[in-house]
Amino acid sequence: MNRWLRRLVLNIAGFGMLAALILTGGCARSTDKTLYIFNWTYYTPDSVIQKFEKEYGVKVVYDTFASNEEMFAKLKAGGSSYDITFPSGDYVSIMKKENMLEKIDRSKLKNFANIDPEVLKLCDFDPGNEYSVPYYLGAAGVAVNTTKVQNYEKSWSIFERKDLANRMIMLDDMREVMGDALKYLGYSVNTTDQAQIDQARDLINNVWKPNLLKFDAEAFAKSFAAGEVWVAQGYAESIFAEVDKSRWGEVDFFIPKEGGPSYLDSMVILKNAKHKDLAYLFIDFIHRPEIYAEFCDYFGFPSTVNVPARALKKGEMWYRPEDLTACELKKDVGADLEKYNAAWQVIRVGK
Amino acid sequence: MVSTTHHGRMRRLAMLWRIRRILRKGGKAARKFMPVRSPASNLIYWAVIGFLFLPLFVLVFYSFNAGRQAQWQGFSLVWYQRLVMDSPELWRAFTNSIMIAGGSALMATAIGTLAAIGTTRYSFRLRSTVATLSFIPMILPEIVVGVSLLVFFAGISLKLGLFTVWIAHTTFNIPYVYLLVSARLEESDPSIIEAAKDLGANEMQILFRIILPMALPGILSAFLTAVTLSLEDFVITFFVTGPGGTTLPLYIYSMIRFGVSPVINALSAVMVAGTVLLVYPARNFLKVFAAR
Amino acid sequence: MKQRAGFLYTLPQILWLLVFFLAPLCIIIAYSFLKKGLYGGVEPQFSLEAYQAMANPSILMVAWRTLRISVIATILTILIALPCGYSIARSSNQAIRLFLVIVPFWTNFLVRIYAWIAILGNEGFINDIIRWVAPGSAGIQFLYNQWAVVLVLVYMYLPYAILPLFSTIDKFDFTLLDAARDLGATRFQSYTRVLLPNIRSGLVTAGLFTFVPIFGAYAVPLLIGGKDSYMLGNIIADQLTKTRNWPLASAISMTVTLSTTILVFLVALRKPKEQKWVFDADPSAAMSAAGGR
Repeated sequence: MNRWLRRLVLNIAGFGMLAALILTGGCARSTDKTLYIFNWTYYTPDSVIQKFEKEYGVKVVYDTFASNEEMFAKLKAGGSSYDITFPSGDYVSIMKKENMLEKIDRSKLKNFANIDPEVLKLCDFDPGNEYSVPYYLGAAGVAVNTTKVQNYEKSWSIFERKDLANRMIMLDDMREVMGDALKYLGYSVNTTDQAQIDQARDLINNVWKPNLLKFDAEAFAKSFAAGEVWVAQGYAESIFAEVDKSRWGEVDFFIPKEGGPSYLDSMVILKNAKHKDLAYLFIDFIHRPEIYAEFCDYFGFPSTVNVPARALKKGEMWYRPEDLTACELKKDVGADLEKYNAAWQVIRVGK
Repeated sequence: MVSTTHHGRMRRLAMLWRIRRILRKGGKAARKFMPVRSPASNLIYWAVIGFLFLPLFVLVFYSFNAGRQAQWQGFSLVWYQRLVMDSPELWRAFTNSIMIAGGSALMATAIGTLAAIGTTRYSFRLRSTVATLSFIPMILPEIVVGVSLLVFFAGISLKLGLFTVWIAHTTFNIPYVYLLVSARLEESDPSIIEAAKDLGANEMQILFRIILPMALPGILSAFLTAVTLSLEDFVITFFVTGPGGTTLPLYIYSMIRFGVSPVINALSAVMVAGTVLLVYPARNFLKVFAAR
Repeated sequence: MKQRAGFLYTLPQILWLLVFFLAPLCIIIAYSFLKKGLYGGVEPQFSLEAYQAMANPSILMVAWRTLRISVIATILTILIALPCGYSIARSSNQAIRLFLVIVPFWTNFLVRIYAWIAILGNEGFINDIIRWVAPGSAGIQFLYNQWAVVLVLVYMYLPYAILPLFSTIDKFDFTLLDAARDLGATRFQSYTRVLLPNIRSGLVTAGLFTFVPIFGAYAVPLLIGGKDSYMLGNIIADQLTKTRNWPLASAISMTVTLSTTILVFLVALRKPKEQKWVFDADPSAAMSAAGGR
């Protein structure tokens, strides 16, 4: 027993050191043939990554984040050595201002020509796309369980319906929900006018919130798929990933006619990236029409950004590029974000 | 007092101890045959086990569901097949998690146990400082610990990866180990150690033959707590990890936007079954610590 | 000599925490006194704005709500954990019983929360049963309120309370209970007057292990709570990840840490004045160990 114990203690010490060695060793092996990507989860299908690895004989390390803010906080502190990341428009401008991005050399991207000029026009967060290459343009919308709710208007006003109280859910996302209310009231999703923000706050707090089950950016799709809620504001790809394929017919996903905030995620190369050449190869690879079509089909996305890919798409899509016309791109509002924070805090903290 | 010589005192003590040992063994044996003293506490224990396992039953149930959502759509092994056949990323995250949990729990248990022994057995000036210092990491919200460690690692330009995750996990595990083992040691009788010293035991003998066996249930509890905390942690890990250092919770959280796949249910079922299969044959070995 | 040995034992921990904890802690303290950067981080400029912003009534209200939920959940957890720890300590196979407590927690936390939603949700198992028993009823909404948060918090932190209670109860000499009964104490008295004072450090540890993490809880209120279940952990996380106000997050954290530490000093870590070992505890363990098996 005592000998056993002594051996145990020695083993513990030994293991501890061994673990330390392995862990340091594990971090040390990085080669020039490896591309480090920091992305939203599954935002690039595995099949696309594998094709890229195969074609160029390289390895891709794909790490993920769940929100722009997390990604930014992480990269801002430094020390994480990623090559490419996928910020939304507002964060492209922030990262640009913070001098975190590498200037894009357009000559290395022959497929840049495939990008819809209409989309490029939207890129006023990075005029001339000096630092970013558009990846995907989309928007959150509303999913309705049509077995439970038949008569409804494709409008944000659905959240005013008292008969659906406690059967509706919205994202726990300040800019998204505030943006919906602002659009519904006929304002810009990027307004900095205090009165307009207050009006949106009151609409959400007094009219929408009493009918909501909760605000949830994490389990909304699960709750919708399980039948907990019948109306969910959120991302189509999440909803359809959770709902079983056999029941897709029971789900109606729409972008409300008033529009809402849309997002344009872009690919950027980080300053001090060690594998810039691979990064260019990857960005160019993504915008090959057949690859872009594969990406869109995987998620049921419309091919909003890449023009030739539209003809190659085979699968269904949950909304069409033209549904986004009423939407407005979220922009960085700078110091006026405080106004949104204050309004959102009132809504979220509750009674 | 017949004899006051050192030798005589030792003999007397040894005899006395032998008698006590026999008495105690008798007591332990008697305890087994006596009717359970508190059936109520056993009842509550099993009710709690039921409560703790309830969600697991649901997971196991769903892991055999053909569909991917809450409604039952027929029996299927498709998620297990996916788990085995095409989830390389998941397995990488799983291995990372196990390595980090094991490694950080071992390190924290070693460090925290030593410190607990140090502070409960000896009083020195820094004692209360150590106690407080050990305690604060628990109170700070994890996200703050995560961000500040990230800033710190970046400041000393330590490359982020599994190594930094291991450091972070060891750091937040230490207070738990320290407090658990101290709680165990504080309730014990210092005269035992004095007696052993009188018997001529040296420091190493006291440590290995008396203190560690005495603290063993506390150490085991501490180790289990540390493993669990490490397996669970998402927030701190997110901030301190680097390329290739994705752990299981990180992997699962990152699925949120596109739906958490039922493959995770299958993995949970496999993990629980695996733990039970590992622990059950070892039950006699584990009794060692109960039979101090 | 004795002093130095104690110090040596403690040295690894002191060093580890000095390097990997105190340094980050200083960063947090410094941040709380700086001006917030527009896009996260801080500007190198002294400011008390963060502490002023804390006087915000909604933050104070959330703090009060958090305190209330944490106290209720902690008390419930300990009340349930106490008999469990006792039962494990008195069992002939402690290790297996301990493992049974901890094993459910080796599966992912988020997945278990989803499982709770599947059990208690509006369309969950329990409501299915209710509707089956009473057809036509709408069922009961268990989730999405503060009591659901308390329930799941108790579930989440039970093992962390059971483990320390077990390891101190196990050290307790149960013959003392008999002695107390012989001396005329009722069963209840024997527990409250003899058992509880002797496992005080276990109770304190269990209390800390549950209260502290519950006070900082973040995901449970978000997933299980309704629209009005925001807790302090959510506010702090929001300041860091959503509103990019690092100084405010640091200031709230510092305040929470400071007040909890003071509380702990006053209540928990204070040594009881008299020696509590009236009876000889358990020298046989030492004897059998010293004698070698």
